[in-house]
Amino acid sequence: MKAFWLLVPVGLILILAITIVAFGMPFGESMQLLFEGSLADKFGMHRTLLKATPLIMVALGTIVAWRAGMFNIGGEGQLIFGVCCGGAAAALGASLPAVVQTPTILIVCAVGGAAYAGIAGWLYAARGVNVVISTILLNFVAIHLLSYLVRGPLQASGGAIPQSEPLEKSVRFAILDGQTALHAGILIVPIAATAVWLWLSMTRSGFKLRLVGKNPFAARAARLPVAKIQVVSLMVSGALCGLAGGIEYLGSNGILFDDFSPGWGFLGIPVALLAGLSPLGAIASGLFFGALFAGSKNLEAFGDAGSALVFAMQGAAVLAFVALSRLAVSQKEAEA
Amino acid sequence: MTKRFSATTALDCVDISFYPGEIHAILGENGAGKSTLVGILSGNIAPDEGTLTEGDRVLEFRDPRDARRHGIDIVQQHFMLVPAFTVADNLALASLKTTPFLNAKASAQEARVIAESLGWQVNLDSVTADLSVGTMQRVEIIKALAGGGRVVLFDEPTATLSPDEVEDLFRVMRKLREEGRAIALITHKLDEALAVADRVTVLRKGKVVVTAPAQGISPSQLAQWMVGELPSDLKKTAVPKGNKVATISGLTVFGDRGEKLVDDVAFEISEGEIVGFGGVAGNGQVPLAEALAGFRDYAGQREIIGNVAYIPEDRQRDGLALSMSISDNLLIEGHRKRSLSFFGLFIPQRVRAWCEAIVAKYAVQTTSIDAPASSLSGGNQQKLVVGRTLDGDPKFIVAVNPTRGLDVRAENYVHKQLLDAKAKGAAIALFSTDLDELAALADRVFYMNSGKLTSDLLGEIR
Repeated sequence: MKAFWLLVPVGLILILAITIVAFGMPFGESMQLLFEGSLADKFGMHRTLLKATPLIMVALGTIVAWRAGMFNIGGEGQLIFGVCCGGAAAALGASLPAVVQTPTILIVCAVGGAAYAGIAGWLYAARGVNVVISTILLNFVAIHLLSYLVRGPLQASGGAIPQSEPLEKSVRFAILDGQTALHAGILIVPIAATAVWLWLSMTRSGFKLRLVGKNPFAARAARLPVAKIQVVSLMVSGALCGLAGGIEYLGSNGILFDDFSPGWGFLGIPVALLAGLSPLGAIASGLFFGALFAGSKNLEAFGDAGSALVFAMQGAAVLAFVALSRLAVSQKEAEA
Repeated sequence: MTKRFSATTALDCVDISFYPGEIHAILGENGAGKSTLVGILSGNIAPDEGTLTEGDRVLEFRDPRDARRHGIDIVQQHFMLVPAFTVADNLALASLKTTPFLNAKASAQEARVIAESLGWQVNLDSVTADLSVGTMQRVEIIKALAGGGRVVLFDEPTATLSPDEVEDLFRVMRKLREEGRAIALITHKLDEALAVADRVTVLRKGKVVVTAPAQGISPSQLAQWMVGELPSDLKKTAVPKGNKVATISGLTVFGDRGEKLVDDVAFEISEGEIVGFGGVAGNGQVPLAEALAGFRDYAGQREIIGNVAYIPEDRQRDGLALSMSISDNLLIEGHRKRSLSFFGLFIPQRVRAWCEAIVAKYAVQTTSIDAPASSLSGGNQQKLVVGRTLDGDPKFIVAVNPTRGLDVRAENYVHKQLLDAKAKGAAIALFSTDLDELAALADRVFYMNSGKLTSDLLGEIR
């Protein structure tokens, strides 16, 4: 199994190469452009970090829910709903001092995401509604809610453009590098990943969550409140996705608009899968895809195919990974 | 017929005949071989030895369609209906078993004729999911009869029926008998077999114990055939002594459909006492055990003094998370131990030390506590479950068939652990379908029948 994990990066590069060739793009030149856009210099690396941040945060959220057997596909909706709540908090508390506003907005985003996931949790616990379906559908509700808010209650005064009042510079995260707009929000990522890792592997409540995910019958026979643990895992998952939105809001974006999230809530799921649902693995996996997204900007010279490349590659990689890890597991079982 | 599944012989040289115009009840406990027999008759299972003949003709079924083509129809224990379909759709679907073409009109017409002949009103346009359980079974019966079958097998047909519905089912079975069909009733309920059958065959551990006319057989005789000779050292219910640990009264557990799985039971268990719960499996033992252990809803009184431990019957489903490590599986009970964590954070050294101590104390054969539980043999898996459960010195232990599937050594080991716990003052509720186990361990024994408790297996079962 250890060897399998070492093969993952090799396999990812291979799949990337195949995708580039299949897209009919010049291989050597494309790889060079990807590298230059993501890792070659400070600008590339900082871009990679900024892209990886929401990916890893959503991946952490995905991991928490999926480890409990709750297949949360609603990261996008939880991220956007969280940000909507954060935007509302920013509008209501605009007169407060910046040191109060920043953490408040961040917390409100997380709480909003948790509450939004809680809707799916309640539907599951009380009504038996499939979590995959409810979380997918709630994505669309949140996307349209944001669209309404930036044209109505949260629209910047006097503007015709559908967007919110921009946050004060003092409220937003500190800028670490003025040239690249790298902000302090990225520091939340390693803290969150470590916290999730500690929680799942070292604590009593994290153990209960994992047990419910592995065998809910055994958890029930051990007299654990299975439904409650499942709902809590879903809500924590939503909180992490909401936090991802909050970091984007207070960091890179500073404003609410229709395309606030280019699909971070969806793109984070394959990141979690490729990490084998490991919180620390999600950092590596998120950085890899962050680099690809950062670099793919350069490929737009080749037309639309350039920007679509990463999505196609990500899909192919997840399919290959899931198939191969199944194979590895069944082989191990055959040996046992 | 003989049928083996790897090491176990499910059916061992079983001879059974079915005659037209006769209801033949086949009785047996769980594991007696009833399901295997149904599987062979329905064409789902091929026998290893033996033949199925009709008159002089040898029948060979390659699949269930063959069986149906030869006029053997089964009313399944679990309804084989599409809930979202109308009754007519379900009947049309069933007719596809014999022809590749859908003829809804013809199957509906046939269904109407059958329903009328049995004196039933069944609305063919109703959606199946909206029907009562009794009506669903009527649809199942119509489905089975629609092929014009000459042999109709009822597999545990009364499991979810009300008494009125059971009466009506018997009426229909008798009517089908009069039409000259051969009727087989597979059941573990003695009273039903005696109420309706002309002949009974009792299976035990894959062998035919007896085939006899139903008339003149007493229920206690039938029960004796089903469970075998009672061990001589089985104890009768005696008055408990010592401090009460568990006091149960008026305890009732309901099933999904509102039926009573456990019906108004009352008993007490004192410290240092093992109370056995025997009887044919499926008579409410597991629901009662789960209610006693505290993870199943119930009505009535349940007072327990001290901490409760539970040893489940199905260790792979309810006891273990097979893909998790041995130490994680020990923590399924151990996570409650205050000494292993500090404000909810496990202390790794203490967890390891505790896990290794349990593995050593209960002689779990493994190379490492980090190996997955799936790497353990069945006996060692059970040692893991028993060890982690008894480690907390529980005051009240609920154990359900704790030695199921274990070899003699592992079985003796588990028995010794339970007796040790008893010696330390634990009160134990031991549910077992193995009378020898109850004889060896229990201070007194109750039997469960249709959710009720009796103190005498042979005398009071009716």
